[in-house]
Amino acid sequence: MRHSIFSLFGWCALTVLGFAQAPPPGATVNTSGTAGDYKSSTAEGGADRVFNVNSDSVDMENGTMQWKGTTMNLGNSRAVRARFERYLAAPTDNGDMKRYVALLDQIQFLLSAQSVNQDNYYRNQQEAFNLLFKAAEYDIDANNSLTIASQVQKIWVMKQEFRQIEITKNQMETLRKVQEGIVINRADNIEAANDARADGGSKAKPLGKSSGGTTELGYKVKDEARTQAQILAKDAEMLALGLKAKIEFQSQMVSFLMARRYRHSLITSSFYRVLFKGGSQNIVVGAKEVKEFFPISDFVPTLESFDMLSREAIKDTSKGMQTVDDLVKQGELYGAFERLQETFFLGEFEPVVMSYPQEKKREMLALWKDLRELQRLGDERDLGSVEGYVNKVRGRARDFPGAPILSKVTNAMNASNMSLLSAKGAALAGDNAKAEAALERAAKIWPQNPGVKDFATQVVSRQDTLAQKIPEFDRLMTESKWRDIYNKKLEYALALAQDKERSEKLRKVVNRVGELDANIQKASVLATQNNPYLAWDVIVEVYKTESDDIVLAKTRSDIAPLVANYAQLIGHAEKLEKDGAEAAALTAWLSAQDLNPASPACGAAVKRLAKSVAESAVIRSTGTVPAPPPEPAAGDDVPVPAKK
Amino acid sequence: MSKINPLFFALGIPVVVIVILVAIIAPRMGGGGKFAELTPFSVDAYRKDWATLQGNSYRLDCQVEQQLAFVEGRGRVLAVKPIEKDPTRPSGRIPIFVPAGSADSFEVGQRFKCKLRVTRDLLVVEALERF
Repeated sequence: MRHSIFSLFGWCALTVLGFAQAPPPGATVNTSGTAGDYKSSTAEGGADRVFNVNSDSVDMENGTMQWKGTTMNLGNSRAVRARFERYLAAPTDNGDMKRYVALLDQIQFLLSAQSVNQDNYYRNQQEAFNLLFKAAEYDIDANNSLTIASQVQKIWVMKQEFRQIEITKNQMETLRKVQEGIVINRADNIEAANDARADGGSKAKPLGKSSGGTTELGYKVKDEARTQAQILAKDAEMLALGLKAKIEFQSQMVSFLMARRYRHSLITSSFYRVLFKGGSQNIVVGAKEVKEFFPISDFVPTLESFDMLSREAIKDTSKGMQTVDDLVKQGELYGAFERLQETFFLGEFEPVVMSYPQEKKREMLALWKDLRELQRLGDERDLGSVEGYVNKVRGRARDFPGAPILSKVTNAMNASNMSLLSAKGAALAGDNAKAEAALERAAKIWPQNPGVKDFATQVVSRQDTLAQKIPEFDRLMTESKWRDIYNKKLEYALALAQDKERSEKLRKVVNRVGELDANIQKASVLATQNNPYLAWDVIVEVYKTESDDIVLAKTRSDIAPLVANYAQLIGHAEKLEKDGAEAAALTAWLSAQDLNPASPACGAAVKRLAKSVAESAVIRSTGTVPAPPPEPAAGDDVPVPAKK
Repeated sequence: MSKINPLFFALGIPVVVIVILVAIIAPRMGGGGKFAELTPFSVDAYRKDWATLQGNSYRLDCQVEQQLAFVEGRGRVLAVKPIEKDPTRPSGRIPIFVPAGSADSFEVGQRFKCKLRVTRDLLVVEALERF
């Protein structure tokens, strides 16, 4: 039962938040422009497998979105919801979207391979750079073009530094070569001096300085080595600068992609391709992230991988918004809402999403609020209110799948009520532990079940009433007020559940009054069927034991006028019998039987009295009146005929 | 010798026979016959206050309705229906006690003239005649 309930609410949450699958946009890979690299069969096959659009979905709870089989983190779930709600509520961005998009396309074109050549290499860069500032004037751009511009400028500055370092390095190389020449010259001189000394050694000149200039040579070598080290340091500096610039640029490109600023990512990529040499085109930053989109073991991420992802996202967003429009036109607002939600999180900053008409967004916002309220009701397990809200949402969006929700809600309600019944049964049986567990289960399934509240109130008040009910029950028993006990039988049953002796008494009273009521009912039915004499018989019979019962007395008084003579005869007969006038009583009973031949009471009385009269007739007849023949001796029953 | 008109005989003889028959049957039909000297039993008076009738003897013409009880050696209690002069006002059944000494048989529907004695509240048959 617990599992089914959890799955119910999980299902409700999923349904309410509209985590349905995205409509299948075209899954073809865009091979236009610079995407010629993807014409290899391996890449196409990989793309087919990778772009499984059925895996697209938004998970509001975790703030993630599945796209192309990869989870994209959207941030804090509450923030994600708030962002979507803000989007729906916010006015549509002003500005000429078409011009903005055209500007971005123009920048990309200027930097594309088909446009850049030897002649316009720098001019196109500068033109594209200038257009970035124009694009930044649009609100929708959020100054991201300026970020790209500053990044590009940084590369240009770095290139300037490169040139400066190169000059310095060349100067140092020149210096090093001079130093090298000096060292060689000095070394040659020393060698020549040594040779000369060796030739004139036989002349036995006095010992003196064997060779000169070695100290100077040592210093010159040291100078040359230092210059060499400085050149290497400059090389390292250039390498570091280049690497840093490359990493920074790639980081910016990945940031744009992950921030779903696909167009800016494409522009950054285009600039990168132009600004950096062919040896720097391999991906260093974000390779791991891009590889996740391509679950192929030997896949090598390239700039084109980024471009392809961005273009695919732009295309999916565009297709998603077309689907939203179509669904709205067909009146399927819920489906449209789901598609808009997915499309928003995929291409939140795409112009086509940002320029969606405000009146349609307002409509979606109203539906969103209803869905959130429905989700809240589900979270709080307020099952009683779910139906109303489901109908409300259905009224707003006729394609909302409310039937499964209602079905599961009904099942949950039934489960809660059954647990409640079990709790009541256990409580009546005195099994408090079981009752408590069942009540807890019922409350967990449906906390606002009115039955749970009532039962809880009963249980709480039971302890209070127990002290009152027991003395009251004892008093009524003493006073034989069965009807009063019967009328409060449920209260007494609860109060006396633990008291076996009193419970047994209560059971007997309930049976007694139940039987009495059945007889009263029987009498009423007979009277209604124009058979008042038999009804009266029933009343008379019951009245012998239950003369204090108010309901019986009322029924008796209702029927009595219909059977006045009959009742009078019976009363008279009973009185005569009581006085010992059995024969006269028998006469009265016979008269009553004449009125009500089917009466079992009359039949029984007549039979009983007749037998009694027959048996006592001899005794009665003794005295002054002529006596019948005396009781014959045994075996002398038949009168003996007179002897001749 | 005077001649008697034969018509006289033709009419006279049947008339005489009829007169004789009427003389025999009329007393019976009119409550006469056996026990004719006794006062007819009043069912209403008995029902109203049997004590005032105690010790008295009455005549009752009745029809057997049912045998209510039979005790060997004691007698039987019969429920009989009095034969009323005014059939529009039936007085209902009454019980009578026939002591065991009576040799008569009683079948439902038989009619009897009875001599009754009110013994306390009991109507005891002292003599009876079927008719």
